[in-house]
Amino acid sequence: MLMQKIIILVSAIALSPIFLSGCERANTPNIPNTADTTETETATTQTGTLTLVANGEDFIRQGFVTKDGWRVNFDRVYVTLADVKTYQTEPPFDPEAGSEIEPQETVVLVDTPTTVDLAEGDEDAEPIVVTQTEAPAGAYNVLTWRMVRGEEGSPAADGTIVMNGTATREDRAIDFLISLDRELEYVCGEFVGEERKGILQAGDTAEVETTFHFDHIFGSADAPADDALNQDALGFEPLAALAQNDKLEVDQATLQQELSPQDYQTLQEAIAGLGHVGEGHCSVNS
Amino acid sequence: MNKQIWLLPLLAITTLMWSEKVLAHASHVQYRQTQAVEIEASYDDGTPMANAQVIVYAPDDPATPWLKGTTDSEGKFIFVPDASIPGNWDVTVRQAGHGNIVNIPWGEENAASDTASGSSADAGYTPLQKVVMAAVGVWGFVGTALFFSRHKPQN
Repeated sequence: MLMQKIIILVSAIALSPIFLSGCERANTPNIPNTADTTETETATTQTGTLTLVANGEDFIRQGFVTKDGWRVNFDRVYVTLADVKTYQTEPPFDPEAGSEIEPQETVVLVDTPTTVDLAEGDEDAEPIVVTQTEAPAGAYNVLTWRMVRGEEGSPAADGTIVMNGTATREDRAIDFLISLDRELEYVCGEFVGEERKGILQAGDTAEVETTFHFDHIFGSADAPADDALNQDALGFEPLAALAQNDKLEVDQATLQQELSPQDYQTLQEAIAGLGHVGEGHCSVNS
Repeated sequence: MNKQIWLLPLLAITTLMWSEKVLAHASHVQYRQTQAVEIEASYDDGTPMANAQVIVYAPDDPATPWLKGTTDSEGKFIFVPDASIPGNWDVTVRQAGHGNIVNIPWGEENAASDTASGSSADAGYTPLQKVVMAAVGVWGFVGTALFFSRHKPQN
């Protein structure tokens, strides 16, 4: 009788911590850990200032010579951005792999159509600041945006890209106003350039950038004629052929009618290749 | 069409070893075999990105270049990450307006292993739970001692 009591008592002592342990494991997801709560609160309060810029690069600010020898200078280049979002992802997102974005953090930078002039300022001007917002610290390595038609009353009404400037070659000068209206969505990974962008430290500032490569439309005399850039670019000569009295004022519908089918297709593909993040490429959704 | 760039990180793992030869009036050459990462950069048509700019960023300071260099004639670049900095090492390769970035996980197996070990040892108990469990254990021993030390009633 005594031995039985001893066994029961010792067993109870030995098993009690195990029962407690089992209860703890089952309830862990529902019990906020003090340390975890503190960590979350700290994370939510660690923010910085995130700036969205739009960059037409020196091609727009300084002008350039197209693949077919036209010197183009831009007075105004309007693009209209909408639904601009930036994300923190881990692992990093690769737009060329066609995978889904799995964000850990999402920041909406622009939700309504916003028109900017990429040619604003002098030839040494900084990229155009579109907006600034407070955002959680971290590495913003994905940027998505839509290029949409400008709203009524905006300087780019009904156009996604509106280019105004002058093209010269030898003794001919053409004033042009080209309005394109193809809407696209660009899905981009991390900015690639001389400096790194999108790394936001708490209390600090960082930039994310929509970059527009207009040499993809016109080609560049700085690149060899057989370079893929020039092979895939429209150039300016097909547009110059549409000018009357050295003035060219066209919209996309007119271009579709007046350009050869091959040139128009080239233009369409060049527009799709316009959006970048620095030198980093993007995937495109129509 | 965009000129696509492909970056291929190739991991070369060898053993750690030092070797040195010393001769009179000769120069000293030593080498060390260790773990290294080899990058191979090319355009989508297979053309190597020769003499392209390479910038390496360490995980602990992703905004500041950890190393700069250029690819060789075959578009290759080799570097040895600091083994004490586990995480994603980022490498950008740029040339003539074209660029790409590749993220290379480095030493994360060790970091994950360490984390798992720590978690197992601690088991995630709250301080209150630890106190209750210790008290129950102590009370068990005290109770056992009292049980055996009690005096049986005399009949």
